[in-house]
Amino acid sequence: MAGPAGGGQGGSEEMKNIIETAVPGREERLQAGTAFCGPCRELKKRLGMKNNGCLNQCGRRFSQTFGCQLTLSLGMLNSLRRTVVITHGPVGCGFWSLGGVASNRALKQLRDPGSGGLIWISSNLDEADVIGGGEDKLREAVIYADREFRPEAIVVASSCVPALIGDDVDSILEDMAASTAADLVAVNCEGFKTKLMATAYDAVYNGLLKGLTWARERESGLLPGRQADRFNQADLDGLVNVFNVGSMSRADEVEIERLLKALDLTVNFIPSYAEPNDFRKALEASLNVSVCGTHDDYYLTYVQDKFGIPCLIDTMPIGRKATARWLRKIAGHFKREAAAERLIAREDADLDRALRPYREYLRGKRAYVSGGEVRIFVTAEALRDLGLELAGLKAHHIDAFARPVFDDLDPGDDLYINVASQQPFEQANLIERFKPDVIVMHSGGGNITARHGRPVLPLFGQGNTYLGYAGLFEMACRLKRLLANYSFNRNMKKYRPLPYREEWYQKEPFAYIVDPGAGPAASVRADQAIAAGKETSGARDGMANSDHQF
Amino acid sequence: MAGIIDRPRFGCALGGALGLLRAIPRAVPILHAPAGCGYSVYIGLNAGAGYYGGGYCGSTSAPSSNVVEKEAVFGGEERLREQIASTMEIMDGDLYVVLSSCMVEMIGDDIRSAARIFPGVLATPTPSFHGNSYHGYDLMLETLIRDYVPEQAGKKPRSVNVIGLVPGQDAFYKGNLREIKRLLALIGLKANTLIGEGESLEDIRRSAESELTLNLSDVYGSLSAEAFKEKHGIPWLRAPLPVGYLQTEKFLLTVGEYFGLDREMIDQALQREREVYFDYLERISDSYNDLDFQRYGLVVADANYAPAVTAFVAEELGWLPRLTVVTDPLTGEQRARLDSRFETFEPSIKPEVRYDGNASAVRRHLADTWERNRNQKYYEALSPLIVIGSYFEKDLAEQLKCSYLPLSFPVNSRVIFNRAYAGLSGGLTLAEDLFGAIIPGR
Repeated sequence: MAGPAGGGQGGSEEMKNIIETAVPGREERLQAGTAFCGPCRELKKRLGMKNNGCLNQCGRRFSQTFGCQLTLSLGMLNSLRRTVVITHGPVGCGFWSLGGVASNRALKQLRDPGSGGLIWISSNLDEADVIGGGEDKLREAVIYADREFRPEAIVVASSCVPALIGDDVDSILEDMAASTAADLVAVNCEGFKTKLMATAYDAVYNGLLKGLTWARERESGLLPGRQADRFNQADLDGLVNVFNVGSMSRADEVEIERLLKALDLTVNFIPSYAEPNDFRKALEASLNVSVCGTHDDYYLTYVQDKFGIPCLIDTMPIGRKATARWLRKIAGHFKREAAAERLIAREDADLDRALRPYREYLRGKRAYVSGGEVRIFVTAEALRDLGLELAGLKAHHIDAFARPVFDDLDPGDDLYINVASQQPFEQANLIERFKPDVIVMHSGGGNITARHGRPVLPLFGQGNTYLGYAGLFEMACRLKRLLANYSFNRNMKKYRPLPYREEWYQKEPFAYIVDPGAGPAASVRADQAIAAGKETSGARDGMANSDHQF
Repeated sequence: MAGIIDRPRFGCALGGALGLLRAIPRAVPILHAPAGCGYSVYIGLNAGAGYYGGGYCGSTSAPSSNVVEKEAVFGGEERLREQIASTMEIMDGDLYVVLSSCMVEMIGDDIRSAARIFPGVLATPTPSFHGNSYHGYDLMLETLIRDYVPEQAGKKPRSVNVIGLVPGQDAFYKGNLREIKRLLALIGLKANTLIGEGESLEDIRRSAESELTLNLSDVYGSLSAEAFKEKHGIPWLRAPLPVGYLQTEKFLLTVGEYFGLDREMIDQALQREREVYFDYLERISDSYNDLDFQRYGLVVADANYAPAVTAFVAEELGWLPRLTVVTDPLTGEQRARLDSRFETFEPSIKPEVRYDGNASAVRRHLADTWERNRNQKYYEALSPLIVIGSYFEKDLAEQLKCSYLPLSFPVNSRVIFNRAYAGLSGGLTLAEDLFGAIIPGR
């Protein structure tokens, strides 16, 4: 196990023994699952069992592409300011970065008007490197990035190929630390390592800890033993780190900042769109607050253990209920409960008044909500607050971080939930069954979802507010607008068919899920469905008897 | 050996193959790859190609074996066979093609033998370490020609296949093919562009009946052209992508000569076209001369567009292309072929030609080719200048405070449907866009 770039002494010696150079997949670390389809209560039962009822062992006989550790890591890393990202791998592995290149500079400039756009370099491994190793090209890329662009940090995100040929990126960067002006960050995020794309969050934080947090801690002379004094001081200042996520917009941050300022707190947003130095400032905060448990536990619990900064990982402040819960938890930490109650009461009353006409319009409309595990549950609750009903849920993956919000949501016995990282074929089957009035959807499925001919509200977006009270109002406005005219998608449905065979819609939506942990009855029926390759005669309990028209 | 690249302007072989399959109606790709390859390629291709979209079953709909560590250890062919079988059950397609990623090639999976079990399923190994998108297009097309196109006994007279435009990497490929087909029809040739408007798998299947393959590229498509020759006995001719009237005339004369067509007849065919073309182009002549619309040019593009666009602005617009940067990794032979394209401009204007795929290198090459401002009393600036390149040149154009038109990959800032820059209608469109880029900033 290699240490951080540049090594360390004193306190960091201890940390070196804790942090590995790479992180385990989340199917292993959190027993997270990516394949399930059934009533919510059945999933809740599984989550209540030991090891999440072996959900992590579920798979599919048919699957569709969705993304990997590397792509999601790039999604986070490309947002860092004053940073150059090296994709260590063949040329195709960085192709993803083209998707965000046009908006990158503008989004960075919302945080710092002097920001430049995205710069990334491919180590462009070819056949000779596959045989001989890619380490020389990596060194060349690091030196080029340092000399040509003088960034504050250079991040190396490694793909499958260097992992398979055994390039030791951490050691290389450690050796090079003295010869570059930039801090060097190794993110080991080869795609084939895990089914759980969200492992990328751990991989990125692992890299940032090794390359930035450690380096900063060393430089500023902060040692774990001296933290207590500092944080008493910081408590007075009320500095909190809010761990923003790639799916948050600047407008979302402004809303969060508004609410926390009302509690007399100061906010530092990391890691998205931060600059390397922000990670130093982050060590001065008195509380680390997550906005989505799926993202940050790896970093937050580590920093809590090593630097004594407490953390809060609970719900995501979307919708009134979750926002109030989130604010109360933070206020509780600072003993500012009364201020929080005053704020919540005022915001609730204002928003209630404003929402009245929208609730009338939206009442009874049925929504299908798909995306990240925490976000969909709080969004579902928010939609109910707007008067909508739920037609179905779909989570990218599922693990214990969903529990607080999932438990909070009372979806009714028969509501179906599909756990699937994208997998639009299952979504197509479910949407054709449940026939929702509106689909609230994570990005990536637009082209296929359009052809269902229904209005689509993106689950998040860089141009909009979703979080807090302002976010709920904006969602209401947009839903009303989207429902008023969705001819574009209707035409797509009419003229551009979905690519699935008619037979697929006759089968159960879980027909291709392999679930070794399912109860005997369910798994037998599922097996029969698979063997017969057609619709099972008796659907899984809950489905056939539900109120939904199939 | 390939070097590191500062912001590559292409994806991997898998990307090129997926770009081509995206262009074929009801074609279904089956990726043997970790979960990220397919979607990553789609993200790059969609935005870079002026919003190409996932199409019938691309984007997150593309079937993919999503192999993980277990397969890296034990091999992934069993998982692939399962995925092919289940894909055939669920996905409604007319063509199924297995493509591979780096990882499965490195662990030694044989996608061809796995695909062979399923009648009609094709396979093309497309690891990134073998080549880029342009190469992947060629590999995929070659597979179709060798393994899918049935042999034909007789040839249809005056019929030609058209290849060499890489879907996605050329955001305008479909509009361009429409125009090429129209131009060839002017001189009595029936073109099969394989992936053009209204064309389908049936056209690809019928491509063996053509008499000739026209390769519109100096660099791309050679494997496919050779495959048509070897497998189907169809000779091929290189006739680079023409942009504007002068290049179109040359193009038609070259093709016409191959078929032994009368020069007079070709000129006759062009008579009406000339009228239409220059009638439109003439519209700008007032402002061109009232306001001095001559420009210096900096062209940054791939091997198809770089020579054609540079020649167009030099020969037809009367501009002064100063520097052209060709952004593909090329062999010496390919460079020599391209070099010759820049030596025959009429009038004899010779831009500096550099071969460099690094985004930040363009500025350096420009500095090399124009004397720097050393604060002398009288300094002739490289102005007025227009930058014709990709999205990556946007910042450079802003810094140089000059006009800018993005047309080469990636073109993230434009939405492109049926627009074309090829031929006569394409030349007019390019002129519209170029003058349109000048007018707001003049």
